[in-house]
Amino acid sequence: MVPTAVYFGLFFFVPFGLIVCFSFWTDSNYTVVHDWTLDNYRYFLENAVYWHTMIATLWVAVAATAITLGVAFPFSYWLSRYVRPGLQKPLLVLVIVPFWTSYLLRVYSWLNILGDEGLVNTALKKAGIIDQPMSLLYHRWTVILVLVYLYFPFAALTLYSSIDRFDWDQLRAAMDLGASPTTALRKILLPQIRAGITTAVIFVLIPILGEYLAPQLVGGIEGVMTGNQIDSFQQGALYARASALSLIVAGFIVLLLILFRKSLASKEAYGA
Amino acid sequence: MSEEHTALTRAELLKRGGVAAAGLTAFGASDALAATMRGARAENVTLAWLTWFDHYFPQQLKTTLKQTGIACRPKLAPSDSEIYTTIRTTGSQFDIAAMDALWVPYAHKSGLTESFDLNSMKAAKQLYPDARHIPFWKDGSNSMAFPNGWSTIQIYYNPKFVTTKPDSYDALLDPKYKKKIIYENSPETWIAFGGLATGAKVPYNQTIPEIARSKAWLEKIKPNVLKIVNQNFETVNALKDGSCWIGLGNLGVDLRVKAAGGPPIKVAYPKEGLCGWFDGEQMVKASKHKDVFLQFMDSVESQTYWAAQNFLKNGRPMFNEAAYKLLVKWGYKARADAFNYTKPELIFKANLQGPAKNQQQITDAFNEVFGG
Repeated sequence: MVPTAVYFGLFFFVPFGLIVCFSFWTDSNYTVVHDWTLDNYRYFLENAVYWHTMIATLWVAVAATAITLGVAFPFSYWLSRYVRPGLQKPLLVLVIVPFWTSYLLRVYSWLNILGDEGLVNTALKKAGIIDQPMSLLYHRWTVILVLVYLYFPFAALTLYSSIDRFDWDQLRAAMDLGASPTTALRKILLPQIRAGITTAVIFVLIPILGEYLAPQLVGGIEGVMTGNQIDSFQQGALYARASALSLIVAGFIVLLLILFRKSLASKEAYGA
Repeated sequence: MSEEHTALTRAELLKRGGVAAAGLTAFGASDALAATMRGARAENVTLAWLTWFDHYFPQQLKTTLKQTGIACRPKLAPSDSEIYTTIRTTGSQFDIAAMDALWVPYAHKSGLTESFDLNSMKAAKQLYPDARHIPFWKDGSNSMAFPNGWSTIQIYYNPKFVTTKPDSYDALLDPKYKKKIIYENSPETWIAFGGLATGAKVPYNQTIPEIARSKAWLEKIKPNVLKIVNQNFETVNALKDGSCWIGLGNLGVDLRVKAAGGPPIKVAYPKEGLCGWFDGEQMVKASKHKDVFLQFMDSVESQTYWAAQNFLKNGRPMFNEAAYKLLVKWGYKARADAFNYTKPELIFKANLQGPAKNQQQITDAFNEVFGG
């Protein structure tokens, strides 16, 4: 118990406590002044711009998470059910190969794919489909696309480890008893991998809520997220403002985790 | 040698290093190193240097280690304000810190840095006279920092699409440039552009009513801004591939676009004035190794070869005059002249980056415009 308390104290409660304190202090002349105030929170809550950006951030995070899981689920299902066991591991390694390169490089590579002289526009021009390059970068959907690419491995690995434990005979039995494949999937498989799905959602949604580099690099002015605003405050050494906005996002994440708590109960998920 | 900058092979590098060494001897820099060597070698000293990535080459630090016995652990710095708060918070953890123009006297006045006798350094003799005598970096006969590089920020445009020269900041508000303008992620400089356009007295240190006017100007330019970038090579790429027609940037963007195979780019100097920056290295007051600061800086900054390479790689003028002579010798005169390398006095006429008493209002205004 003591090591756990020390560990949590040092690496969680102390830094988190500092952020909480900072959020109630003020910035003045590049100094955080220890005057307790609600001004930072009041500023964010009263300013519609931050609400809009927060909603846009949430929208991007939900859309990217839904698409990521939508792509990762069939992949994991196929990998677990139809690929012979000897080939599953090498394919999983391929999924995590992008992690061997830097995050920044992976995002920058999309500039070469979607740019005016990028892979897509060049191919379409050569095929005679377009004369002028299409505007593929610097939209909100571009940010979503890149986030799906970035977070696909997290979702795929989590879902795979969950689906891999599933007993496929149950699915066959359900269909033998007259269930359609969709019904069998919905009523037999999905409830049993609910914990895996929830974990995948947490692994994808929560980091996306704090993203700032991908939106900045491929999103342009349209793709700004709350993380970019926090970054601006940090750049200006406005640590009180940055802390308050970070805690608003963190508060929202905690709320989500409370909502997900039930799905994470392994007892319910596995019927143990 | 070709006018285009090409990467050097290791063999070329060594060969040119030899030439540079000969050059150094001619400029007397080797005397400085010799003098340093005569002093006690500072073995087992490792300096922590908070600086920007374009202020040094790893090979340069290796040479210094060999010459002086002083090792260095650079840490990449973010913005001036973050460097300022970092050295204030971390005390003696850093020995050297880079900062921009007006930030230097601010840090010194705050008691974070210590001035030194610049003229006692042989490396200082390689500098342009203007750089040796920066009035607001003076602390009596001492200097608050060792000057490094500089640039003004001007408007670069593609004449194929921008037919009227944008010679004012307001010209950028034209709706025909919708989503065609690009500049870096620097809230202070964005607000400074707004300040110049709306008549602020000190663009980097505006009053609250001036910030409100700058914010209103930013609201107007926002529809025309495609992207706010992290690195200036993104500006070069956007002008090259045509996704942007106008880019605000450091000196030499036009040449870098050309070198990247892009279209001809022209430059315009807005009549309201230019923003600009120059930076230098300061001795941190709380440092435990102040005794070796001069020895270290002298060795690093007198490596003319690397100063010249720095210009070629990072594309902005250095204050090092000896490096210019080396560049001329290498065949890069036209390139260096196009970057106004020999005119360091230009930067002192620009509106210089510095601390703002209303930093919070500046960042708030920037976020309220570009964050929504």
